[in-house]
Amino acid sequence: MRGTVIAIVLTLWAGPALAHASNQGFVLLLPTDIYIAAGVACVVMTVLLLVILPEGVVNWLSRPIVLSLRRARVRHWVSALCALLLIGIILIGYSGPRDPMKNPLPLTIWVVWWIGLVTVQGIVGDLWKWINPWTGPAQFLGAVTGRGPLLRYPRALGYAPAIVGLVGFAGFLMADPAPSDPPRLAMIVGGYWLAMLGGVVLFGPRWLLRAEAVTVLMRSYARMSILGRVGGHIAIGFPGWQVLKCGGARRTGLAVFMLLLLGSGSFDGLNETFWWFGQLGLNPLEFAGRSTVVSQNWVGLVAANLALIAVFFVSTWVGLRLAHSDISLGRAVRAFAPAVLPIALGYHIAHYLTSFLVEGQYVLELLSDPFQLGADLLKRGAYSITTGFLHTPGPVRIIWLTQAGAVVIGHVIAIILAHALAMRLFQSRRAAVLSQAPLALFMIGYTFFGLWLLASPRGV
Amino acid sequence: MTINPKTPAKSPKGLSRRSALTGLAAGVGAAASLPMWARYTHAQTAAPIKVGFQIHRTGIGAAYGRWYGRTTDAAVKVINDAGGINGRMVEVIAEDDGTDPRRGAEVLEKFANQHGCDVAYGTLFSHVVIGSAPRAAELKMPYFVVSEGHHVASGVLNRYTLQPGITDVKSQVQAMAPYVAENLGKKVTMIFPDFAFGHDHRDFFTAAIEAQGGEVLAQIAIPPAETSFTKYFPKIPRETEVVYHVMVGPAVLTFVKELGEFFGPSAPKMFGFIDSLEAVDIGSPGLEFLEGTYFWEGMCRDAQSDQSEHAAFYRAAVGVDDHGASISDPTDVSTYGHMFGCWETMHVIKAGMEASGYAGPDDRTKLIEAVEAMGEMPESQAHPQGAKVFNGKTHQVFGHQNISRVENGRLVKVHRTSIEDTLYPDEVDYTTQPF
Repeated sequence: MRGTVIAIVLTLWAGPALAHASNQGFVLLLPTDIYIAAGVACVVMTVLLLVILPEGVVNWLSRPIVLSLRRARVRHWVSALCALLLIGIILIGYSGPRDPMKNPLPLTIWVVWWIGLVTVQGIVGDLWKWINPWTGPAQFLGAVTGRGPLLRYPRALGYAPAIVGLVGFAGFLMADPAPSDPPRLAMIVGGYWLAMLGGVVLFGPRWLLRAEAVTVLMRSYARMSILGRVGGHIAIGFPGWQVLKCGGARRTGLAVFMLLLLGSGSFDGLNETFWWFGQLGLNPLEFAGRSTVVSQNWVGLVAANLALIAVFFVSTWVGLRLAHSDISLGRAVRAFAPAVLPIALGYHIAHYLTSFLVEGQYVLELLSDPFQLGADLLKRGAYSITTGFLHTPGPVRIIWLTQAGAVVIGHVIAIILAHALAMRLFQSRRAAVLSQAPLALFMIGYTFFGLWLLASPRGV
Repeated sequence: MTINPKTPAKSPKGLSRRSALTGLAAGVGAAASLPMWARYTHAQTAAPIKVGFQIHRTGIGAAYGRWYGRTTDAAVKVINDAGGINGRMVEVIAEDDGTDPRRGAEVLEKFANQHGCDVAYGTLFSHVVIGSAPRAAELKMPYFVVSEGHHVASGVLNRYTLQPGITDVKSQVQAMAPYVAENLGKKVTMIFPDFAFGHDHRDFFTAAIEAQGGEVLAQIAIPPAETSFTKYFPKIPRETEVVYHVMVGPAVLTFVKELGEFFGPSAPKMFGFIDSLEAVDIGSPGLEFLEGTYFWEGMCRDAQSDQSEHAAFYRAAVGVDDHGASISDPTDVSTYGHMFGCWETMHVIKAGMEASGYAGPDDRTKLIEAVEAMGEMPESQAHPQGAKVFNGKTHQVFGHQNISRVENGRLVKVHRTSIEDTLYPDEVDYTTQPF
């Protein structure tokens, strides 16, 4: 069963994305109970295999192949160009079409960047260091003024500003009444860009690495990607090899940031389920819109994240006790936190796949007719936007299994990473395995939760 | 969703106050002395008529919103290709309301204060209509809704809110009763979601079937968040001749499948509203049980043998094939039963503006009075679903309804009601309310 499911999942994973599903009718007709059981079984089998398999197998996974490419030196120019593009799109956000599916700002921010680029960053490689819209402008400002940073970044702040930024971003995404409204989004994106540019001017590039949530997020996900650097050369390896190369998070703040990525992503799915509507005492079939659940979603977001952090800390602590280890809890949390990144990335892909397949079509439509003059540069023809795949059993099954595949693969990689990280942290294999038992249980439970989210009826 | 008018609009910001006033004074004086046609020839160069489209782009109405948008685009294209309204092009300003009543009201304010819209239009979901209508009255903005709700005719809204392009649920439901009683059976069990939408069906149909000498044996209310229904089916009395069902939401396909499994081949007659299965191909695997069952349809999804030339024109204009799906993707089934309401409402706005000589926001009350006075609307390109009668007092239009039977995965019309079947006594007279 396990081999078959993995084969199906991998086949689907490699195949083209076919469709989206906001109206979930056909998902509820799928035998999702069986699929969920198979997915959880995959993760359980991974845990058991890791106990049995020789150590060398995991070590082999952490070794990249070095490619003989050297990095280019035009990065700041690309960044500056991206900044100019962003400013242009923000201006169109203010003055362009009011329909979020016609205005380039919400399409760029939510579909291209948040859904698309974050996924590419996590799977392929660190694109963000090229397109980061602050590094180039900061470099040029420095060159023009001939001055370096005005202040030293306060070490005591650590990752606190980035954590605040991430929670603020997640709140805007999940609890704001209208995060896609073009002028509203223009104000938020424009304001944030300016504020962070100010931070870079004041504190230098360290600001981006510690305080700017998007860069910290993108760099965290880049650790999961297959492309990275070894000694100035580009290298390619199994997803997560860079996590093993970097080791754990250097500071507890970064570890917490990584856990927040998972907690926020999970709540992003949870807050759409009938279950959540039930908790709020609302009828999902006559939901009166996001403006009625702003405070509830904020409370839910914060509670979900606190719960996740607590469970992770407790699991890690119990693992240390089981292994009779004298390693501090903080060190162990820092060591294991990056292992949740593949789960968070898997959720991200699964949660947004259907939106991407629908809203991505609006991006193509915009590219085909960028000035809304009736052009059809991409030869897409009339009525090119469709959601038929959400209402047809075959495509709905393929999409669901692809989403489930992302969740399951994310957990499998997470378990392998946690195991490999534990092997480095502890002296003996026995201690490493024992220390992982609670986290492995947690991840098996989380697999079930993630797949349940995908199979649950949703209100929006 | 912004439709670019063929005639470029001159930005009001480009005019100085003095030149605008001078021009206005001269224009008013000159226009008053001109015949009607000449005024509008002159207006060819004027700014477009701005229709604020309150679109459900996100939220629970998004699936409908896409098709309402497409129908609106098609209607505006046809109107603009034929010269626009009073010689002015129509420009649609679409704002997402998030299917959220509070945002709906904010969107109306943007239409009035930021975009300078002439009218607001297009809302489907009842709670957004009810949340927005009071603001429309405060802003003195004519608000043309396409929601099917009985709230307009029930009198809870106001003189600025009109529903001239789609019939309301009360008239639809009561018009079904004669056919159901005569052809399907008089002993009915109703299964409906346990909230306002379902309660409307329960109340309206129970009264209507009793008026036909029938009776409702059981009313089975299903909690809205329910996703498994087998435990409710044993409550269906054995002597039931007709099951009337109006389930909506993601679990509706599960409902149909489980109903089929429960009854097997010896099912009573089934009657439902297409609302349950809008945008879903009736012939999909898993829905075989629907074969031979009956549905209300506002407009027939599958092209019928007697489809009028106007209906065919409309079908082509919105890019839908003979099976109700997009011509670019046969799996992309439209919300055909309802979306004609956008087309017809847009044409009512056009007819109302032409009848009232609408020239700008100062003529909004004249526009409302003109629509109130419309009365009969013959079947035409503007009314491809069929002839209608607008009740100026209740601000609600009345029209023919269709009952279709599923045959080989297609919806085949078996009955078309008269307009008289859909009428009920007035519950309000908005014309007595001052503007």
